[in-house]
Amino acid sequence: MIHFYRVSKHYPGGQRALDEVTFQLDRGEFAFLTGPSGAGKSTLLRLIFRQEIPTSGQILVNGRNVASLPRRKVPFLRRTMGVVFQDFRLIPRKTVFENVSYLPRVLGLDGQRQKRLAYETLRRVGLAHRMKAFPLELSGGEQQRVAIARALVNQPEILVADEPTGNLDPEMAREIFELFLEINRRGTTVLVATHDARVLERLDKRVLSLRAGRLQEDTAAPGATAARRMSAVIAAGARPLPPVPEAVGG
Amino acid sequence: MAVHRAFGYFFREAIVNLARSWKISAVAVSTIAVSLFIGGALLLLIGNLNRQVREWRREAKVIVYLRPGVAPAAAAGLRAALQKPPWVTGVEAVSAEQARQRFVRYFPSVAELVHGWGEEPLPASLEVAYDPERVQPRAFEAWVQSLRRVPQVGMVDDDRDWVSQLEDVLRVIGGIGLAVVVVLLVAAIFTIASVIRLTAYLYRDEIDVMRLVGATELFIRGPFYVEGLLQGILGGALAVAALYLGHLVMAPQVPRTWLAGVLTGSFLSLRDQLLIVTLGALAGFVGAVASLRREEV
Repeated sequence: MIHFYRVSKHYPGGQRALDEVTFQLDRGEFAFLTGPSGAGKSTLLRLIFRQEIPTSGQILVNGRNVASLPRRKVPFLRRTMGVVFQDFRLIPRKTVFENVSYLPRVLGLDGQRQKRLAYETLRRVGLAHRMKAFPLELSGGEQQRVAIARALVNQPEILVADEPTGNLDPEMAREIFELFLEINRRGTTVLVATHDARVLERLDKRVLSLRAGRLQEDTAAPGATAARRMSAVIAAGARPLPPVPEAVGG
Repeated sequence: MAVHRAFGYFFREAIVNLARSWKISAVAVSTIAVSLFIGGALLLLIGNLNRQVREWRREAKVIVYLRPGVAPAAAAGLRAALQKPPWVTGVEAVSAEQARQRFVRYFPSVAELVHGWGEEPLPASLEVAYDPERVQPRAFEAWVQSLRRVPQVGMVDDDRDWVSQLEDVLRVIGGIGLAVVVVLLVAAIFTIASVIRLTAYLYRDEIDVMRLVGATELFIRGPFYVEGLLQGILGGALAVAALYLGHLVMAPQVPRTWLAGVLTGSFLSLRDQLLIVTLGALAGFVGAVASLRREEV
């Protein structure tokens, strides 16, 4: 589904954001991307949805070479994936419903279908009752759920999230990760960049650890040993925290 | 996406944009309205002047002044000769006495100039009316020159001379007017471009989001193009309305002279009004396209 082969990204001035990164994420897989600030997590995600172009290497997303994709085709690539950000990136002057139904509108669906899709997706994230609210009237967790609904409304094959719980308290973060797991259970490939060591410890999912732009650890498959998982977490610079009373599922 | 839905969306968003930043939109609309008002006023003036000049051309005559003492038989022979060319529609003989009476009637304040002479001060003449549609310019010119060589003729006055000069002046005024309008329209395009760029800058976060969820550039830019178009149409419509109002207010106040006819004769035709609004729309659209051309909005 997502295939990175010796991908490097250098910025003007010589800064190396990514250096020879190679990994493969299969259809339906769930993986975390972790590492300290500046490790290259956000750059890697931006390469997937073609907000950036690699300096060298190959990136295949769903069989398409993202780096060589003509600019006019980028919107069509992005429609096959959902993207979630730490700062939600909702349109403040539009209601929750309008934010979620934006993509169906872009796709030219008729009004009834736009409404049905947006309503169903909002119901899935538990926010159907806040359709008419504006983003700034919602809590941080609710805003992030709206952002997830927006990412899901077109039933994407891939969901990428960049520090989606960075601005949320632990309880809201737990709810968001439960939502990601549920989305993944329905078949969507999920890649989440996070610093949250608690989540990395509790969820038995693959972890890709970046440090200084290099892929330092890849736990490769669900069910890796706790020691190896911990090694990946620590190697990435995330600090393990004491267990929380209510463990996240998975 | 279905074209009508896309346009519906563009229009709704453009109207929201206009309403949200109505103050700067008003500046853009005013700029284009002022440019088109000046252009429209020139169009109105030149249109009416052209109409007047056409009227004068229709009424133009060739006046053949006779030397003093030309015998009546010779004058009659000349009159008969003047009626031969195909463009001549009539010849009127004006005696020296009639000429003097006409002068007194037309210029009463200087009437004493023609009093107290021992003999008639003004020459008799033959006024030749002609149909401008049937005039062959070269043959007509040769005919006028030949009249000047006739021994009984003192002077030939061809109205076409000053009408042509007036037409030249009109062409110059039209050219200057066109240049002024082009400069003003370019200024209006720059204003609209700046306003649209500013609006796009205000919405840059939203535009980023649109791009991230997979909106095409046309879908993102469409509302801005329509916004420019609407600003231009509004500016053009305002200019036409202001011109009409000005015409209504001025018309009864100008005395009924030929100048009044020139200034307030008739208002712009529907075609000219549409031309002004279309020019506004075009300027607005060009401004929007220019503002978004180079940057990834």
